[in-house]
Amino acid sequence: MITVKDLHKSFGDLEVLKGISAEVKESEVVCVIGPSGSGKSTFLRCINLLEDITSGEVTIDQDVINDPKTNINQVRSQVGMVFQHFNLFPHKTVLENITIGPVKVKGMKEEAAKEIALQLLEKVGLSDKADAYPESLSGGQKQRAAIARSLAMEPKVMLFDEPTSALDPELVGDVLEVMKDLAREGMTMVVVTHEMGFAREVGDRVMFMDEGVVMEEGDPQQIFEDPQNPRTQEFLSKIL
Amino acid sequence: MIDALNSMLDSLMDSAYIKSLPFLYEGLKLTLLITIVGLFLGFILGAFTGLGRLSKNGFIRGISTIFVEVVRGTPILVQVLFIYFGISEDLIGVNISALTAAIIAITINAGAYIAEIVRGAVHSIDKGQYEAGRAVGLTERQTMRYIIWPQAFKRMIPPLGNQFIISLKDTSLFSVIAVGELVYQGRQYYNATFEVFETLVMVCIIYLMITIPTSVILRRVERKLDV
Ligand SMILES: Nc1ncnc2c1ncn2[C@@H]1O[C@H](COP(=O)(O)OP(=O)(O)OP(=O)(O)O)[C@@H](O)[C@H]1O
Ligand SMILES: [Mg+2]
Repeated sequence: MITVKDLHKSFGDLEVLKGISAEVKESEVVCVIGPSGSGKSTFLRCINLLEDITSGEVTIDQDVINDPKTNINQVRSQVGMVFQHFNLFPHKTVLENITIGPVKVKGMKEEAAKEIALQLLEKVGLSDKADAYPESLSGGQKQRAAIARSLAMEPKVMLFDEPTSALDPELVGDVLEVMKDLAREGMTMVVVTHEMGFAREVGDRVMFMDEGVVMEEGDPQQIFEDPQNPRTQEFLSKIL
Repeated sequence: MIDALNSMLDSLMDSAYIKSLPFLYEGLKLTLLITIVGLFLGFILGAFTGLGRLSKNGFIRGISTIFVEVVRGTPILVQVLFIYFGISEDLIGVNISALTAAIIAITINAGAYIAEIVRGAVHSIDKGQYEAGRAVGLTERQTMRYIIWPQAFKRMIPPLGNQFIISLKDTSLFSVIAVGELVYQGRQYYNATFEVFETLVMVCIIYLMITIPTSVILRRVERKLDV
């Protein structure tokens, strides 16, 4: 589904990603963990080209996305992205936040998009918030609305960048629940998270990143209970 | 008692305070015409230049920046002299009317300040908004149009209102090229009647009748928009 080959990314002189190779299979849930500044967000952002790639190759379903011939907007519409700070559009209602993609990008009729949006809102438990503006929602509700917004584009892959880090602890559960549902339905997901419980329960694989490289990867059980790399051990001992 | 009041009223009606009004009214019309048309065109110019200053294209960014700096760094009086005499008469040898020159001057001058308003407002929108727009699959242009601009425009309203007041007052300078705006009309009137004080009081009152309500409305809008 996603193949990353020797991905490098620099900001000026600062090399943030130093040759990452990874593969995510269809319906797989890969959790990415690692210390702050290790390049986790940058890695995700390269997968949907929010950052341009310095060198290397990212392939999604046979399409090399960083090939200049590839239509970037088409790629992005197939890759959903959920941000730490939700990034809902504050001047649009929850419903409009969800319909804008299908209407403007896919050219869907307003009515059809609305129907899809209402289904998605039901799925994430926000049926009663369709006409509310984002500012009136709690953090957890905002994030669920943001997930619905991404899903409306029917992406092949969903990327999550610390989707629960900005939430009050009691609101984390609802968001994780929605993500678990997605995983169960077979969505391919790459999740940067510090929720070790989630990684353990839902993750098919865990990648530990440090200083711009993947230091270790394996199934969650192994990474959490028997980490091989000293950096992984050190990191886990700090957060567990 | 009644007699005294009556004669006061008579002398008021007969004074320059009132008698200058029809004359000043003609000036007010031009003042408003120049301000409104100039600001409208200035907004279009400013929107392009302001976005130009944020462009990834170095050339567009460069000329936008030069335009803004040159216009903001020179007095509007010099600008209008340039437009009226310097460029149109001397350099290219076409005569434009003083009114046209005045409108162009406001357009260019307000355009430069509005460019900064636009740039600041667009720049103040969280980068995450742009990224979310792109992540949904919107093109750069669509993201600008549907996501960034509507949010930025709200933040532009108070400073634009402020610019309206500034430009309105700037039009008074155009009396030097004999545009018959409010101040020019006032001067014509007191030169003929020698009622300098009364006329200038009325000129001030007319300006204030526009600027004070504008700033009151602005403050209210500002509070409502919460920006
Ligand atoms: N646009 C940018 N320009 C310059 N440097 C950047 C930019 N974005 C990220 N960086 C740098 O790249 C490095 C990796 O950042 P990144 O956000 O990918 O880390 P992260 O692993 O997601 O960290 P966190 O857990 O704090 O979110 C950091 O040193 C950061 O300062
Ligand atoms: Mg990050």
